[in-house]
Amino acid sequence: MLSELINPYYLQVATFILLNIILGVSIYITLGTGQLSLGHAGFMSIGAYTSAILTLNYNVPLVIGIIIAAVFTGFIGVLIGFPALRLQGVYLAIATLGFGEVIRVLFINWEGLTNGAIGIRGIPHLGREILSFSESLGFSPGMIGLKNNQFVSLAVFLVLLIISIGVIWFFIRQSNSRIGRAFASIKMDEEASEAMGINITYYKILAFGQGALLAGFAGALYAHLTAYISPSDFGYHRAVEILIFAIFGGSEVIWGPIFGAIFLSTMPEFLRVISEYRFMIYGALLVLMMAFRPQGLIDTNVVNWIKRPRLKKKEGKHGTGNKKDK
Amino acid sequence: MVLEIKKISKNFGGIQALTDVSFSIEQGEVLGLIGPNGAGKTTMFNMITAMFPPSSGEIGFLGQSLSGLKPHEITKRGICRTFQNIRLFSELTVRENVMVGNHCRLTTGVLQSVFRTKYQKQEEENVLRNSDEILEIVGLSEFGQTIAKNLSYGQQRRLEIARALASRPQLLLLDEPAAGMNEKETNDLFDLIKKIQALNITILLIEHDMPLVMRICSRIVVLNFGKKIAEGTPSSIQNNKEVIEAYLGVEEEDELA
Repeated sequence: MLSELINPYYLQVATFILLNIILGVSIYITLGTGQLSLGHAGFMSIGAYTSAILTLNYNVPLVIGIIIAAVFTGFIGVLIGFPALRLQGVYLAIATLGFGEVIRVLFINWEGLTNGAIGIRGIPHLGREILSFSESLGFSPGMIGLKNNQFVSLAVFLVLLIISIGVIWFFIRQSNSRIGRAFASIKMDEEASEAMGINITYYKILAFGQGALLAGFAGALYAHLTAYISPSDFGYHRAVEILIFAIFGGSEVIWGPIFGAIFLSTMPEFLRVISEYRFMIYGALLVLMMAFRPQGLIDTNVVNWIKRPRLKKKEGKHGTGNKKDK
Repeated sequence: MVLEIKKISKNFGGIQALTDVSFSIEQGEVLGLIGPNGAGKTTMFNMITAMFPPSSGEIGFLGQSLSGLKPHEITKRGICRTFQNIRLFSELTVRENVMVGNHCRLTTGVLQSVFRTKYQKQEEENVLRNSDEILEIVGLSEFGQTIAKNLSYGQQRRLEIARALASRPQLLLLDEPAAGMNEKETNDLFDLIKKIQALNITILLIEHDMPLVMRICSRIVVLNFGKKIAEGTPSSIQNNKEVIEAYLGVEEEDELA
């Protein structure tokens, strides 16, 4: 009964959507202080390679490997964050793009560690690790009427779902606090924020580090989901893809990049025929968005519209604001 | 003595914006800083708030030197400013703007914010209460949920003051708060400055609206071409020959304030 409902393929698609959501949130955090980064593919690859190498070569348990990878990437992000402070807007974008390329070329040429352009295969798979772990506890998928591959896909999906919800929860909480207010004010006017007593150095580096940490985390998960990584997985197109989640969905509220990630990862599945032209469509989409809706599809007004009190009829609103009472 | 400016000079490349300016502000007074456009008044503000360092000279606040501090550290010491060209966080609500102003008096970090510790909840409650109190003072209570950019010009000016007040300053720097205001709004501003003074906050005021300056300041410092040309009570400034020349100068009519 359950086994008929579970299609490993759809679950896998859903799992990668969740991974993209985490990536979307990671760019959202960095953009949240007005820092435009094209280095997130680079951070993702650092996370992926760190965890892959740790688990493969040093027999580090998978969970520990992912955590170390995320923290290490966050640390690199903080290091990059310092010079990034001096750059604004497109200059920062160019610099971080360069950083991503440097990392990619480094991974191609550091053959002793990374296997070069061939990539690393046979990385411990998150799903199979879960399977063997549960089997060691005396549980087998057959007990709930599932085939092994169905169980694996389901388990991976659920783990990613919990992680994504945790990540979103964390950053919603953060943005509704002193930290979030500081981020928002820095994005709007750096100098005024500084004059109002906000340590912009700290908050910009915090945002950059958090974004990097999250991208590294997603990268590590990616490595253990695909079991195979190569430098070409983390090239320029990946950096742009991540950025587009936020540009298409919107970077004002966290739901923007989440929506962007869901929508843009689902579309190619429905439009199999044109999936070859994905990046062409992305390009056109970017141009159109910049021209007609630079803030992205989901902005504060949309969120407020969705959250609006559903009354029978529109009643007169007090005040002049377009932000309605919570 | 709250603030002591000692022989401050500033040059931008070859342009001498300020030359050996010295003055001091006493506790609780409203000191006017006036002068024709380009006299160096805002430059002085920028140096007090460490937006950029003076070329030479020193600034002392409550007996301590401010040199080498960053702008946010200055704010924490108790000096806060408003901007001549309004620089609110225009997409945030009025209340959020004031809450941002309160930032340096709060201490919760990332983890406390995310896990909502008891301390954090307490602090957020206090911030909300403080912000509402300050909005009450400046008369913007009913606009708490309004997006800042939707306020009228005069209201935005007052919100700037509210945001600065939220940092609990001992010295408030107001950069042309009456610019672009009509007579009624200017009168309201007069009352507001009086109210702020009653809160035991010292004020340094840059303003071109002379009637307002003469009414509210206890002393006035006049700058012209980066030099201090006069200092004294409003009535002595009004009769100072050099000041009148600076404003109505024989050949420099384009510098009329």
